Amino acid sequence: MNITVLLSMVPDLVEELEIDASGAALDTQWLRYVISESDDHALEQALLLKDRHGASVSVMALDYGDADQVLFAALARGADEAVKLTGIPEAGLGKRAAAATFKEALGGIRTDLILTGVQAIDDLDAHVAGMLGGMMALPYVGVTRSVEPSGEGKVLVQKEYPGGAAAEIEVTLPAVIGVLSAPQPPRYVPVARIREVMKTRTLDEREAVPATVPAEPAIIRLFKPESAEHAQMLDGSPEELAEQIVKILEDRGLAP
Amino acid sequence: MTPMRELNWNIAEHKLIYAVFLPFLIVFLWGVFVTMRRWLLGRPDPRWDRLWERLVGVVAQAGVQFRILREAYAGVLHATLSWGFFVLLAATCLVLLQEYLGLPTLQGPFYLYFMSLVVDLFGVLALVGTGMALLRRWVLKPKRLVEPRGSDGYSVLLVLIFVILASGFVVEGLRIVATRDPWGAWSPGGWLFAQAFLGMPQEGLERLHRISWWGHAVAAFAFIAYLPFSRAMHILVAPLSIFFRSLEPLGRLPAGGGAGAEGPGASSLRQLTWKHLLDLDACTECGRCQAACPAWLSGAPLSPKGLVLDLRDHLRARLGHSNGGRAMVGDVITREVIWSCFTCGACHEMCPVYIEPVPKIVEMRRFLTSQGDVDATLQDTLTATSRYGNSLGQSPRARARWTQGLDVTIKDIRRERARYLWFVGDYASYDPAARDATRAAARVLHRAGVDFGILYDGESGSGNDARRVGEEGLFEMLVEKNLATMRGCEFDEIMTTDPHTYNTLKNEYPRFGATWPVVHYSEVLDRLVQPDGVRLTRKLSRRVTYHDPCYLGRYNGVFDAPRRVLRALGAELVEMPRNRRSSYCCGAGGGRIWMKEAAGIKERPAESRVREAAALDAVGTLVVACPKEMAMFRDAVKTTGLEDRLVIKDLAELVEEATTLEVSGHA
Repeated sequence: MNITVLLSMVPDLVEELEIDASGAALDTQWLRYVISESDDHALEQALLLKDRHGASVSVMALDYGDADQVLFAALARGADEAVKLTGIPEAGLGKRAAAATFKEALGGIRTDLILTGVQAIDDLDAHVAGMLGGMMALPYVGVTRSVEPSGEGKVLVQKEYPGGAAAEIEVTLPAVIGVLSAPQPPRYVPVARIREVMKTRTLDEREAVPATVPAEPAIIRLFKPESAEHAQMLDGSPEELAEQIVKILEDRGLAP
Repeated sequence: MTPMRELNWNIAEHKLIYAVFLPFLIVFLWGVFVTMRRWLLGRPDPRWDRLWERLVGVVAQAGVQFRILREAYAGVLHATLSWGFFVLLAATCLVLLQEYLGLPTLQGPFYLYFMSLVVDLFGVLALVGTGMALLRRWVLKPKRLVEPRGSDGYSVLLVLIFVILASGFVVEGLRIVATRDPWGAWSPGGWLFAQAFLGMPQEGLERLHRISWWGHAVAAFAFIAYLPFSRAMHILVAPLSIFFRSLEPLGRLPAGGGAGAEGPGASSLRQLTWKHLLDLDACTECGRCQAACPAWLSGAPLSPKGLVLDLRDHLRARLGHSNGGRAMVGDVITREVIWSCFTCGACHEMCPVYIEPVPKIVEMRRFLTSQGDVDATLQDTLTATSRYGNSLGQSPRARARWTQGLDVTIKDIRRERARYLWFVGDYASYDPAARDATRAAARVLHRAGVDFGILYDGESGSGNDARRVGEEGLFEMLVEKNLATMRGCEFDEIMTTDPHTYNTLKNEYPRFGATWPVVHYSEVLDRLVQPDGVRLTRKLSRRVTYHDPCYLGRYNGVFDAPRRVLRALGAELVEMPRNRRSSYCCGAGGGRIWMKEAAGIKERPAESRVREAAALDAVGTLVVACPKEMAMFRDAVKTTGLEDRLVIKDLAELVEEATTLEVSGHA
């Protein structure tokens, strides 16, 4: 089985996010990127399939943020090849454009299973995986927690629903799967192996084919959470405090 | 008349003894060969340097037995037993000198004072030691001998030794009576035994003498033949393990097995060094390591003694091809055992024969880490450290945030020269419990006019603990990053807050080309409180106790500087029972601070330690000199309910109290 895993970088929330002068975008100067968590799980899912059933795993990422680091780490973890799509704007692409770019890049690759994270902190409404399935006219299932081969050209996926419900769905390959989590947490890859891979392996760099997509919605204003109401602080002796609390509860109709 | 005794009296056929000895000797040599062949399985490790120092160690520890004598009962019984045996063996050799070289060792004053009196008294001592040992094994049964599993191999040996010693006295006693030896009382042991045979007919005496002479010889030969297959083998192997002991600082971990086909670290015996394997046969199962081990005492599954014994059984089974395919890492030594170690080094300090458990454990950790086989919280920490350069997973830009709000400006040493480069370290920089002490240290140093600067966000974690969990690649990456930054700075000395940081900068960074002197902040404070240094405005008249951090004290021998500081402040220092080299780990070291607590913990090391401090009479302050201890002990006083009884203070905070006139609320 040939598996392609699409990886994307998202802002690392360990740093405080700053808004740039335009007021409509993050200030990339202070931005640190990290692999999106569910993409990390998608890669782990692919590597588990490789370990258990044999597969060839290639990873692909758009060239922004720390793409090199993420791709080399994926090779160190066990991916067989890594493709970097170059010519991407510094801040990355919109979700629709990203999906279209991946579609173009995947056109020339024989792949049975495309895995990617179902959502990311900058793609909470889970656009990329679903749109990619649509653009490529392939079956798509999202929010999975397990992918297992089931017979020739098919996989059985477990999909999660709200409220703890789950479904087992058989999907005919080729297909796009939006992974929520792998059956086990992403494995640790020692630093020595990443450094070794960085010395001995190279990334397969390919010029991204510019994708024509309808205009993305424009962000007018980006802002940090603004506190609307302030907490009311109570003061006084315990007896006075108790009286005040009772009064507040009565005023709001919460106490008889 | 010259005092003397006749050589081989009553044993006409004494030359037969060599024929009798031969089979025993063959068995002995075979046993020694088999044992030594096992060590050759290990990989090379040159240990032939500094021969003189090595020999002195053998004399001090195998001969005089300083370490063994640290304990009264066990020390005395071992010393009497072994010195008695040395002397008796020497006397036997001296008899041979007379027989073959004609040296008159059995006549004159030498015979009377040494061969009779001294040797006999040592024989009595050995007998007393044997009795003490049997009493200890059969009646007293100290826990460390029977846990995690007993070592009954010694009982049969002690009985055999008793038979040898007693039969020797019987032989002597019979000779004294039968020959009416006028100097018999000069052999007090033999003379005492002789009293039992007075009045026996001459013929009976001579017959019994021949029987017991041969019995004594055969018992001694049996001991020799049995020696390499028994726990007595430590008589031969312990001097070797002492001779080949590591002369490197404890804080300088060996480079390790390198990346062969089986990966880095040690997953099998072959990847340990020959010295590691020799250690296994040197172990006397005394259990002193275990009795000092914070992992074992807190209820974790690791006992250093158990580890060594399990590895030894594995080594022997392996060559017997009966190990049932058990893997060294995972089956013989479980993951839980490997990860339980705090690397505090107490086992190294206690071991009378210089066995080195910590490097063995780290080798196994290196293997596990190379396989990605780490627990979830450790994985998060290692990932964070490689990404952000600190183990707390915080922004590297926030590293010097602790300096905000200080009324002093701290030099950026990347731009300005200073005498000290203060390597602050992860915990002192980021940990809320430790930051107050870091700020106190900064204020004290500033007020005292110490010329220092910090690296701000140019500093990364030192990698000491990353190395101790086996993440060698991460360690090297951190070293390279830090060295690249530090090489661009001008300074004379490095000062550190964290003893772990101190350790690796001092002992391990030099391999990468770092040549700067490294001092701990307690040493800098020590320089400041000297009479010509900072003016102390206020005496701290309180009773305090001081906890020696493992990586500062036991690892690097800094015991006195913090104590001198406390005395200079006017504090009355009361020592805990476990102090200096015997200090008890707080439970943070070896990367344990990053891991989930092992299941089945009875009492955390830090809890044991604060109870020890609180038990001291009228001591209300536990002084620390390590930022990790602040967090560990503050937690521990809460969980033990000792919050009202014991305050945890950093050394720098106390210095600040003593140098500030107005002791304001925040101090």
